[in-house]
Amino acid sequence: MTHLPLWLIPLFPLIGTILLGTVAVISSPSKKGAPEGIVGALAVLFPAFSFAVVAILACSMPEAGLRETLCNWIDIPLFRADIGFLFDGLSRIMLLFVTGIGTLIALYSIGYMHGDRGFARFFAYINLFLFSMIVLVLSDSLLLTFLGWEGVGLCSYLLIGFWNSDLNNCKAANKAFIVNRVGDIGFILGMLCLVTLGGSSLLNYDSLAAFIQMIISGNHLVDVIIPLSLAGVLFFIGCTGKSAQIPLLTWLPDAMAGPTPVSALIHAATMVTSGVYLLARLGSMFAVLPQVLTIIVVVGMLTAFWAAVSGLFQNDIKKVLAYSTISQLGYMFMAAGVCAFDASIFHVFTHAFFKAALFLGAGAVIHALAGEQDMRKMGGMLRKTPVTACVMIFAFFAIIGFPGFAGFWSKDLILERLYTSGPMGPFFYFIGLATAVITAIYMGRLIIMTFFGKYRGSKESEEHIHEAPAAMLIPMVVLTFGSVFAGYLWADMIGLTFFRDSLASVVGTAQAIYAGSHVAAHVSPVLFAALGTIAALLGMFIAWKVWGNARIPEAKGSSAPEGFKADWTFFWDKIHAFFIMIVNVLAWICDVVVDKILQAAQWTLGAIATILGDGATVFQVRKARLQAALSVAGLAVLVLVVLLTGGLV
Amino acid sequence: MLLHLLVFAPFVAAMLMVVNSKEDFKSSSRMALLFGIAFVAMSVVLIALGNQATTPMEWFRIPGCKGPVFYYLYAHGLGAWMVFLSCGLSLVALISARASMGKEYRNFAIGIFALMGAMNGTFLAADAVLFFFFFEAMVIPAAILIAAFGGEKRKEAAMTFAIYTLVGSAPMAVALWYLLTMADNSLLLSLALVLQSLPEGTQMMVLVSFLLAFLVKTPIFPFHGWQAITYSEAPAPLSAILTGAMSKAGVFGFIAWILPIFPLTMGVVRTMMWLGLATAVYGALMALRANDGKKLLAFSSMSHLGIAVAGVFSLSEAMLPAVLVLLVAHGISAGVQYFLMGVGERMTGTRNINEMGGLAHQNPVFSFLFGAAGVMALAVPGTAGFIGEFTVLLSLWDMGPFQALIMGFTMILSAGYVLRFIQKVIFGKKAREYEEGARTTALEGSAFGVMLVLLLVFGFHPACITNSLQLFDEAAVESMAATTDGANGQTASDAEAATAGEDSAEAAVEAAPMTAEEIAQLDSTLAAAGFSEADRKDIINQMIAEEGAAAETPAAETAPEAAAAPATEAAPATVETSKTEGSNND
Repeated sequence: MTHLPLWLIPLFPLIGTILLGTVAVISSPSKKGAPEGIVGALAVLFPAFSFAVVAILACSMPEAGLRETLCNWIDIPLFRADIGFLFDGLSRIMLLFVTGIGTLIALYSIGYMHGDRGFARFFAYINLFLFSMIVLVLSDSLLLTFLGWEGVGLCSYLLIGFWNSDLNNCKAANKAFIVNRVGDIGFILGMLCLVTLGGSSLLNYDSLAAFIQMIISGNHLVDVIIPLSLAGVLFFIGCTGKSAQIPLLTWLPDAMAGPTPVSALIHAATMVTSGVYLLARLGSMFAVLPQVLTIIVVVGMLTAFWAAVSGLFQNDIKKVLAYSTISQLGYMFMAAGVCAFDASIFHVFTHAFFKAALFLGAGAVIHALAGEQDMRKMGGMLRKTPVTACVMIFAFFAIIGFPGFAGFWSKDLILERLYTSGPMGPFFYFIGLATAVITAIYMGRLIIMTFFGKYRGSKESEEHIHEAPAAMLIPMVVLTFGSVFAGYLWADMIGLTFFRDSLASVVGTAQAIYAGSHVAAHVSPVLFAALGTIAALLGMFIAWKVWGNARIPEAKGSSAPEGFKADWTFFWDKIHAFFIMIVNVLAWICDVVVDKILQAAQWTLGAIATILGDGATVFQVRKARLQAALSVAGLAVLVLVVLLTGGLV
Repeated sequence: MLLHLLVFAPFVAAMLMVVNSKEDFKSSSRMALLFGIAFVAMSVVLIALGNQATTPMEWFRIPGCKGPVFYYLYAHGLGAWMVFLSCGLSLVALISARASMGKEYRNFAIGIFALMGAMNGTFLAADAVLFFFFFEAMVIPAAILIAAFGGEKRKEAAMTFAIYTLVGSAPMAVALWYLLTMADNSLLLSLALVLQSLPEGTQMMVLVSFLLAFLVKTPIFPFHGWQAITYSEAPAPLSAILTGAMSKAGVFGFIAWILPIFPLTMGVVRTMMWLGLATAVYGALMALRANDGKKLLAFSSMSHLGIAVAGVFSLSEAMLPAVLVLLVAHGISAGVQYFLMGVGERMTGTRNINEMGGLAHQNPVFSFLFGAAGVMALAVPGTAGFIGEFTVLLSLWDMGPFQALIMGFTMILSAGYVLRFIQKVIFGKKAREYEEGARTTALEGSAFGVMLVLLLVFGFHPACITNSLQLFDEAAVESMAATTDGANGQTASDAEAATAGEDSAEAAVEAAPMTAEEIAQLDSTLAAAGFSEADRKDIINQMIAEEGAAAETPAAETAPEAAAAPATEAAPATVETSKTEGSNND
């Protein structure tokens, strides 16, 4: 049976990038810019094609997956890499929602970016992003994944700094790129670690899995555990960068400076989850590294809790969602840390729907309020923008894990896996549950402050509030359906395990390895579900009590948190600032101390030479005569040397 | 023939340029462009044809030396790519200078052609004296160009540049002369042989004098005093050539002359590698603080070349292709950045990046190119820079994770300074009011565009570069022997013809051509037996020495000149292949 070639999937967005980029550059000098209709159509069409190809392939994919080697990439002594693609259960799910949500958000952006000067440029970046993201999840080796990995980072940089005449946006973009670079270096070094361990073929996922299998069956684990653990930690550093985990998480809240569709697509639904994807992809490697897994679960737990508390303190609607994203990513890492890769990918999947819906809803609110992002100046939007409000409220139920909604199934699953993971399980479970309560509180606060109560903005702005255009509403509604029903792909309680089965061929082995070394306690799943429901209801209740009828303090100055709230929120920024300071001091030493010393030495030498030269001119009585004498002497010496050494004979 | 053309035709072109009237900008610029395009075409053909050499001709005899100095050109993958950089960047410089030079254009073009000829000579010379001659000759046109067309402090910059680099290579001249008094001739193998016979202390002295010349040229910390002022005061198109092509002469010297001649001790290797890494970090830190755009680029160049030198002295098997890709990528990306900075300076009238800004709205095409060039300098995967840096990092990781970590640190810093540079120049708002100068012309813009596309092409298909080093591969050798009987076959047959009459020299001739293959075989057996890189090198060097000595003794009695030529013909080839397993078939 023949299949569509895999390279078609990334090809479409690539063509889109090139076309739209050309349009953007060519139309840039003209006053009007390119016609939005054509540009918008192109921008949505190419991702949609790509989605169609993925959908066709997804239906006809054999159990073992499709593999395709395109060509050779690097071939030098010691190192060889091919460009090849791998389409299996894991990449199928990732690709489906990356291209699907990508298409929807491109459609939404047509409405959102209407009238912007950089319309074509924006969509060129979006297409480039989709290309990179597709390469990231479709590649069959770590090196090609890294191409996508840095590619999405680059697009994130370009899109955060999209409105580049404001330097604050540029700084946020720079921060995102540089912090990600730190993680990327971890990724590169991790690859090198693997290459030294077993040659460049280990970068291929299949070979790596086979290698691990060989080690286990041959009982050689003890010999390689150190380099392998090192590689694991380095890859995990890469993941913390891309997926905004402690300690490299400071860039994500700042990244909200970009246009809101970008926040929805890149900084919530797709790019930031690539760290989780990588962990799942390398599952068989992580499964044999218990120490690294412990690090992952602890980091994930701390991040989830810390970010959830930060979310409570924010006034900017997008910042709340940003911290909520970090917190949810923490959940996914916790799941990955107990080797529940299918559960973590399931949460990636459901999260993509409800978080994208939340962001798009927030975008619609911001759009309606002409750019206002401070929740203290909102309120009572329920009556003015009813569709948006419904979308956000449904997505809200999904994220807090209200029974029946998508988040309920996936979060419940993660908590269950945490509890049964081992002796420390109940502790992780408890923190996870507490975080769930906080999640419900801050999300409840967001909904209450935005949609309920009275409108708190200025009178003039109230008149201009309008519901978003259809191009924006359609994607939002589709995503809302996703955030309600996506969970039923894997609802253990009612016997639906489609999602788990489709991933089993990829992560099943890894999880089996892990499960073999851990004794699982058995607890009734209904109990977990009940506790999860109570957590969500409790959080909602607290939020209603605190903010339901309270007078919201007057908005003054910036929307950034103050006092102890700022200390908590910017804790990691301060740690980063410390490292930046060290670098700056080093640079200062180089510039002001070392360089000046070198210059002084150079000057001294030069001065001595000049003085000697001057001395010679002073001593000579008549310049010309001395020169002539020296020349004659020099010539004589030369001739002498020649004769003595027997040259010119 | 191609080799001769590449070295001498630029000088002829420079002379022909004089024919043009100074007043007639159009004809002189057209002529310069035509010449430039012809040279680029020749350099591409040179790469495509692979390894080749000219017939060695006796050039002159240095008084006091045993053997003659040859005029002998030789192209291998590394040199050919460097020639490509020198020709390509010169062409773009000629294009870019059209907008700013005006009536001075003719003189500028003359200088550029002279510089190009000297650079090509440096990269193609197979004779040490010839190499040294061109290595020094490069400085003169460059210094004159700086003094004539530079910025405010051009005189000072030209003086610093000329004196610093000339003084830096003076010890090399002495050391070379010292070696030549004992060597049979000034080709690579005889130098290596002579050096083996010296006591260790003297070897060290000679090594240090050689190293110094290349350290200054690259430049490596702490010998970089000339670099920032020179690059910033030179006209931007010239800076692009200086950093993109001329500074490569230093790294080229390490690979093509230091490694084959000297039996390096581990101490020297480690010192050089750490110097390279120190340069990388130092350059990156200085770039973080620089406010002069061209100085920033100068320090960034310094940082990248530091990485290249560290890579060279990692001496891993992957070193040569890795460093070559890094050099080519850096040559193109640093070159295009300098060109664009020149355009920026032309438009805004300042080099201070704090006084620029807002160009993204004012001139989107320029900003697109500028941003793309910056991003490509960051070694994002998919660009040639990534291949280079990744493979060099791989070589360094072999030496130790700590070294790799330091290089990783510079890669993070590079993101810091490049993004700051982009932000200050094209983003934000206009920092001050000024009268806008000439914008990017269409020709200029497309030339920069081609350079950026080249970076992408090499990034996805680095085989174009790395394959030029793999001609040792048997299939490639056979196909080359079949198709290009001219270039390689000629030298061999010439050599045979020269020695056919000499009965006693026959043995020598037979010994020499065998070595290339034998050594590779030997090397792989040794590698399989578990010898380290350095050990293998030593053993092979010994083998060469013995064989060479055996070949030379009978020959030296009867026909010293005739025998010397064929025996040493294989010299650059054999020694280099033994080191890198990748270069030549003679």
